[in-house]
Amino acid sequence: MSKFLRTAVAFFIAIAVFAGTWLFMQSGHGTAAAAHAAVPAAAARVVPVDSTRCIAQTEWMRAHHMQLLNQWRHDSVREGNRTHVTRDGRMFDKSLNTCLGCHASNPMFCFMCHQYANVKPTCWNCHISPMESNK
Amino acid sequence: MKKVLMPLVMVALLALVPYLGVAFGKLDYLFGVVIPYAAVAILLLGILFRMVDWLRRPVPFRIPTTCGQEKSLDWVRQDKLESPSTPWQAALRVLSEVLLFRSLFRNTKAELHGGPKLAYGSDKWLWLGGLAFHWSLLVVVLRHSRFFFEEPPMPLQVLENMDRFLDVTVPALYLSGLVALAAATFLVLRRFRDEKVRIISLPADFFPLFLIIGIVIAGISMRYFDKVNVMPVKALTLGLAGFSLDAPSPIGSLFYVHLFLVCVLFVYFPFSKLMHMGGIFLSPTRNLPNNSREKRHVNPWNPDIKFRTYAEYEDEFREKMKKAGLPVEKQ
Repeated sequence: MSKFLRTAVAFFIAIAVFAGTWLFMQSGHGTAAAAHAAVPAAAARVVPVDSTRCIAQTEWMRAHHMQLLNQWRHDSVREGNRTHVTRDGRMFDKSLNTCLGCHASNPMFCFMCHQYANVKPTCWNCHISPMESNK
Repeated sequence: MKKVLMPLVMVALLALVPYLGVAFGKLDYLFGVVIPYAAVAILLLGILFRMVDWLRRPVPFRIPTTCGQEKSLDWVRQDKLESPSTPWQAALRVLSEVLLFRSLFRNTKAELHGGPKLAYGSDKWLWLGGLAFHWSLLVVVLRHSRFFFEEPPMPLQVLENMDRFLDVTVPALYLSGLVALAAATFLVLRRFRDEKVRIISLPADFFPLFLIIGIVIAGISMRYFDKVNVMPVKALTLGLAGFSLDAPSPIGSLFYVHLFLVCVLFVYFPFSKLMHMGGIFLSPTRNLPNNSREKRHVNPWNPDIKFRTYAEYEDEFREKMKKAGLPVEKQ
């Protein structure tokens, strides 16, 4: 087999790896495209609404909360868009404090699952965790 | 093409079995508890049986394949790794083979260049692809320890952190999974690329590759795309590690596809070429020291032959030999 074809195959694999990596990187940012469209960029900053309901279904939050938080960080820190509009039209501040507003009532809320599943999020590298603040 | 399609269809059907079984048959217990235990039992007993079988085969002579200067006179420098003369050197050679695939590094290929010109060239792609494949799979397997320990041992946690050091994507991208998928794809494509390799490839070569690709794709999908609930997964794996027989809570059927394909791999393992994992340690052309010149190796099952020396022969026929005028050693 020719050297050209060999190089071509290697090149293709390299492209595939990079394309795959890029897709992975993008997949984390995909969820908020709809939220962007719904909210005008100049929307006023909204204070978190005291709500008895979470911003999304428990099942969905369980699977996707890390992607949502990542998206929120990207939107609020890099694009200045701090308003999250849920599917049923309620508005929330894109902030970790919005979550902790309700969920910090149980200081172990994040940790009981993360510790059990040996998942170490990077949130508490910067943010104060409810375990620390409630002491 | 049949030899490629058959294994592909088989893997697809095998992936469909747990999907249908869990989604429609409510067979969680079968696929989550019964089959994993059975598969691990078959894996361990099968490997044990085959290793013991191989270990019992006698290897009376030293038959290592060497490619360096063997131990000789003091002023001839011995190539200790390529032609080991002690068990320790031989062990080092096996280890370098297992960890670095040294013999594959010397892989060459022959090509006909426009007519009668035959050219040999170095071909490191198989070495590189194989190394990437095996090491990444090892990292993937070790990383799964987080499911089987409440808190995995420190070295495994360090390994996991190194695997996700890029810190791209959420959940963090594991490099090993990506490398395993890319390398396995390369190993499949390698078998298509060259007509000589294509001809000698068998369904038994494609099946494990497709199976591993299926496992990796199912695993990656579960982590990054179609999420499954991790809590019952951890409960199930911790239970399996502790020999519990509790029924698992509902988990997405994708998880059972992943688990069932792993079980298929376990069951397939002892009966297939995958046994090279144990076999490499037992290959006599690799693990024996090359000391035939300094030590005599006698075949232990040689028949007990009664030898007759020339001295005995001469003792019997001395007088007759003298009469016939033949020279004798002893008068």
